[in-house]
Amino acid sequence: MTTTALMNRRAILAFMLDRPGVLNKIAMLIRRKMYNVETLTVCKTNQPGTSRMTITLREDSDEKMRQVIKQIEKSTEVISARELDMNESFWREVAIVKFEADEDRMEVLKRTYQFEILDRRDHELYIVQVAGTSRLIDDFLQDAGMDRIVEVARSGFTAMEK
Amino acid sequence: MKGTELVLKALIDNGVKFIFGYTGGAIMPIFDEMEKQDALSFIMSRHEQGAVFMAQGISRASLSTSNPRTGVCMATSGPGAMNLVTGIADANMDSVPVLAITGQVPTAVIATDAFQESDVVGVMMPLTKQTYMPLSVDEIETTIHEAMYVASSGRGGPVVVDIPKDVQLQETESVCEFDARSCEPQLPGFFYQPSVDMDRLKQAVGLINKSERPIILCGHGVISSNTGPRLQAFAERANIPVAFTLHGLSALPVDHRMSLGMVGMHGTVEANRALMNADLIISLGMRFDDRVTGNLKDFAREAAVIHVEIDPSEIDKNVKTSVALNTDVAQALNLLHRDPALVSKPRTRWFAQIDGFRLEIADQIQKEIDAGVGREGQLLVKTITSRLSRLTQGKDIIVGDVGQHQMILARFYNFQTVNSWFTSGGAGTMGCALPMSIGVKLARPDERVWSVSGDGGFQMNIQELGTIMEHGIDVKILLMNNGYLGMVRQWQTLFYDGRYAGTPMKNPDYGAIAGAYGIPYLKVSDLDQVDDAIQTAADHKGPFMLEFICDPSEIILPMVPAGGGYKEMIVSID
Repeated sequence: MTTTALMNRRAILAFMLDRPGVLNKIAMLIRRKMYNVETLTVCKTNQPGTSRMTITLREDSDEKMRQVIKQIEKSTEVISARELDMNESFWREVAIVKFEADEDRMEVLKRTYQFEILDRRDHELYIVQVAGTSRLIDDFLQDAGMDRIVEVARSGFTAMEK
Repeated sequence: MKGTELVLKALIDNGVKFIFGYTGGAIMPIFDEMEKQDALSFIMSRHEQGAVFMAQGISRASLSTSNPRTGVCMATSGPGAMNLVTGIADANMDSVPVLAITGQVPTAVIATDAFQESDVVGVMMPLTKQTYMPLSVDEIETTIHEAMYVASSGRGGPVVVDIPKDVQLQETESVCEFDARSCEPQLPGFFYQPSVDMDRLKQAVGLINKSERPIILCGHGVISSNTGPRLQAFAERANIPVAFTLHGLSALPVDHRMSLGMVGMHGTVEANRALMNADLIISLGMRFDDRVTGNLKDFAREAAVIHVEIDPSEIDKNVKTSVALNTDVAQALNLLHRDPALVSKPRTRWFAQIDGFRLEIADQIQKEIDAGVGREGQLLVKTITSRLSRLTQGKDIIVGDVGQHQMILARFYNFQTVNSWFTSGGAGTMGCALPMSIGVKLARPDERVWSVSGDGGFQMNIQELGTIMEHGIDVKILLMNNGYLGMVRQWQTLFYDGRYAGTPMKNPDYGAIAGAYGIPYLKVSDLDQVDDAIQTAADHKGPFMLEFICDPSEIILPMVPAGGGYKEMIVSID
């Protein structure tokens, strides 16, 4: 794969029939066309039988974006696919973080961030859930202290237009 | 009803007449059911790849008839299904609707590496329009109806239905009431009949009226939407020359005054030069394949592009369009042709320029055809093709294999009948012709069918001589035997300093092979015998095979080198 660091993050929102193999098909398409995918999330919708897929990728070329969307739309199961306007949509992630913190650090974190403590062991080992923008989660991890983090699970993006 | 009965019922409800295939453990129940009925005829291929190409033959040839059909093939699990893969990939590249039904191991043992188990859905998914695995008998009928609908709507393509053996054997009370004409499965967003955007149509007409040097590129879509005659009328009215992609050929008579013949890597000088010099390209149902465009950087930089295409993902994929019409070609042509604003410009200078292109190597080629033999006295495929064309008045159906002879057929057979040329284009699958011609003949029984192969491709599906023998399929087999893989040899001559790596081949006694299959055969090595031999084959009732001993050093020109642009077109090597 090519270097992705410099390219813009873009997002595609697709709705599709909840049938076996759809995820496989989209994943194969992404591999074949060599798109630089960053995150891919799938969830159910309020419409029974319909799934919602949010894909984020690093891509600068509008033409390539149009091409990937057309390719996704071509799949039999896909109902619609389009690019999300980054400035006109909400982007959120959830992270579950296992890290060590003493009382002082936890106090500092609590003042700056909203999070839920899921577990606490030996008084200093926490598992917490943080939800918010990607930036917020990055900042939280920074402030928690990279050297104190044991494990991080991030959900990948989910997004909605205004 | 049992699952097996429902499979056949669904096929019969969809108007299927022939099933091509090969049995085996996991598909046996369906074959067993087939034996109990007579609405479907079963044709056993001698290899599953043969069965897909036969099914392709049905789809390709029937689309211009009053009864267009989707060809159906069947195979067992594991190796049976895997042997279908090449033919399925071929159908996908050439947008040919095909339904493949494969048996799968019982659901209880799927994913345990059971005997003859392969992940058919996984393998086929990137090579098909859609794949299905019904997991209950109640899904069988609706799945097959949806599969047929998906295969044949919009841009055609192959669909695979993989049915586990236990599902085939299940029983159900529920049976579909089905009418093929009104069947529209619940697939929101899948296929819409795209309608023409009238503003864009107006822009297109504006570009056409303004253009001094327009060219039409007629692609497979013109054939698929069965609209050759309308294209001819439009080209005549708007006064625009027409060049054909490999699969666009036979949309209108190739000697029509507006025709430039085939375009692309081995296209005619006139088509390629006209394309290079055009100020407007009107491309109809084609996808700007690299064999058509050459190097994209140099392609049509001066020209505006109107792209009429039913598959939106093809628009702007390789070539940026000025006006895109995402619609069926027939519909677009109908509206363009009837548009009162459309002007018929004389374009005298353009046609004079084209006449110049036509003459560029015409003498050189005519001389070669007249000579009929190469330096060693062996026959030229160009000459045989011209003779075949003359003797059949260009009216017969030609099924071409893949390679040098295929390009020569595309260039020198004077196609007169709409949809009379079938071959593997996008995938370029050697060995396609013999089995495909069987399907073609069954779809168009009243027309004469010539299956033309080189000695390389012929041996790739030579086993289908058995199918021809068993069913007495009246196909005329022409074998252009030059003892080499001719097209690769040509590249070796031109670009690899004449090192013939992996191309020469020791051939068997084809007469003995034809004899073993009970197929009458003639070997032709003299120019004087060519016409009589072709006539004999044409007049014979039933299959007939002609082997021509051909010149290995024959070259098909012009040639745009792979990766090169039209500027680098080689027109002569002397």
